[in-house]
Amino acid sequence: MYRGKSITELREALDKEEITSEELFNEANKLAHDFQEDYNSFVTIIDDYKIKRRADSTIAGIPYALKDNFSTAGILTTSSSNILKDYVPVYDATVYKKLKKAGGVLVGKTVLDELAMGGTGTTGHTGIVRNPWDKERMIGGSSAGSTSSVALGIVPFSIGSDTGDSIRKPASFGGVVGYKPTYGLISRFGLFAFASSLDHVGVISRNVKDSAIVTDIIKGKDSNDMTSFDSSNINLVDSLDNDIKGKKLFYIKEICDKELYKDSNDEVLNKVLDDFQELIDKCKNLGFEVEEVSIDKSLLEAIYPTYMSISCAEATSNNSNLTGIQFGPRGEGESVEEIMFSARTKGFSELIKRRFVLGSYILQKENQDKLFLNACRVRRLIVEKITELFKEYDGMILPASGGIAPKFNDTSEKLSSRYLLLENHLAIGNFGGFPSITIPFTFVEDMPVGVNITGRIKDDALVLNMANKIESVTGYKDIYSKVGEENV
Amino acid sequence: MIEKEKLKDYAHKLMFDMDEKEYETLQEEFDVILKQMDLIGKIPNISEVEPMTFPFVNEETTLREDEVGDYLTVSEVLENAKYQVNDQVKVPKVVE
Repeated sequence: MYRGKSITELREALDKEEITSEELFNEANKLAHDFQEDYNSFVTIIDDYKIKRRADSTIAGIPYALKDNFSTAGILTTSSSNILKDYVPVYDATVYKKLKKAGGVLVGKTVLDELAMGGTGTTGHTGIVRNPWDKERMIGGSSAGSTSSVALGIVPFSIGSDTGDSIRKPASFGGVVGYKPTYGLISRFGLFAFASSLDHVGVISRNVKDSAIVTDIIKGKDSNDMTSFDSSNINLVDSLDNDIKGKKLFYIKEICDKELYKDSNDEVLNKVLDDFQELIDKCKNLGFEVEEVSIDKSLLEAIYPTYMSISCAEATSNNSNLTGIQFGPRGEGESVEEIMFSARTKGFSELIKRRFVLGSYILQKENQDKLFLNACRVRRLIVEKITELFKEYDGMILPASGGIAPKFNDTSEKLSSRYLLLENHLAIGNFGGFPSITIPFTFVEDMPVGVNITGRIKDDALVLNMANKIESVTGYKDIYSKVGEENV
Repeated sequence: MIEKEKLKDYAHKLMFDMDEKEYETLQEEFDVILKQMDLIGKIPNISEVEPMTFPFVNEETTLREDEVGDYLTVSEVLENAKYQVNDQVKVPKVVE
């Protein structure tokens, strides 16, 4: 009965005593179980309603889901990897602690690509996550289950993490809102590190306002995360309805120009780019000024390899604590080295090992300057270019992807312009720590596609304000897959 | 094509192994990855740029009071360790 309702709607129903928090939890719990076999959103579904103390916040009594790479004391936390399949943390991530204090009700821990390293939602140790709009398609990743649980209407919001596009790309494939704030706005304490200089905590919801409500609650300086900053002057909800007349947006010609992809004869891609131009017209009607800008294509094509180089290199050291000794399944052997070797050989899947080998290769003495340091240099050039544009413009608007969610056996040409530009530009937001949000803006072949808005660091309020206005003209606010409702 | 032995060396340095078929897949994947990596080197005068290791400089510097914060007890630390002895994690003998 309350499936697919927003935080604001649920708050009202709770305040009017039309429903209790426990009833909401039971409904979400039933939906989570009902959809688990077909979509596999969760590693752990929580079956006991444990809230005893009533909190005073907008999300008090409201169910949500948490990605399974956030530490939750006493609750299994696997990071969707065999090497952590039995790991029960003894401390809470700051985000979880804040949500608990605000009275949020945890419904389950969601499936991710193993150790958050992947963009398909197919590499978790408990199986693939399916797209709620079409079971034969991926939801994307790595915040796969966090996205599908919101897209299925099980919970109004979930928490994810985003290192390259792990919230904002699946949000596009799942027809939901995915928001990655400024680096350091939300504490990363208790998030299992993938690539610390790129990792962000963020929110998935079905409208911009809900993302703002949750972020206002979980943001803030944390003594356990030295990169977090004091954001007491930022109030996202209060800024949502500010006038945006005269605000300036740009899109990048080298990413959005149909001519670039004319050889592909891809009808879906053409439709996405046509619909994007239609949205730009709608933005102008809203009062935005929107301009096309040109950026050196070779710099843009270097985004993906730069991301791979930095993230894989950082990941190799961040995951060196997974030895099977202090926690995780113990390996076999006569020495400490043999035990570690065995635990890591058995505990990591092939895809993770391939990324680690790449990280190891990049960090070899003979490759460090050419691959790792040059990637860090390209990162600076990209961030400086975008920051320079943000002096004139208030935000960047781009299609979050060039197509709809891929089918499980689809392959992509990994050296094509389309792959390097359209499918992987969202990492810009991680390179510079820029606030960045994806909202659904069109449907092609009955599948959703998102548009992304990125802005200046610490100007999250304006980014959400602009996204909120754009959301009002897309016609796709508060959508979710109604699969299963036909049988009710 | 990158030599399989090199890939094995990189994997072993990170304390894990893969099977032969997995190394062959990785060899093929490396072909594409190295071509992608070449795109980084194509940027003109790249070596003159200062590498960026964090998104932006956090200008806030604060001194905290020297107070005892939250910490884990020994039993909490050991909760997930499969083998223990005398409040310590047990491993095979290191010194002969």
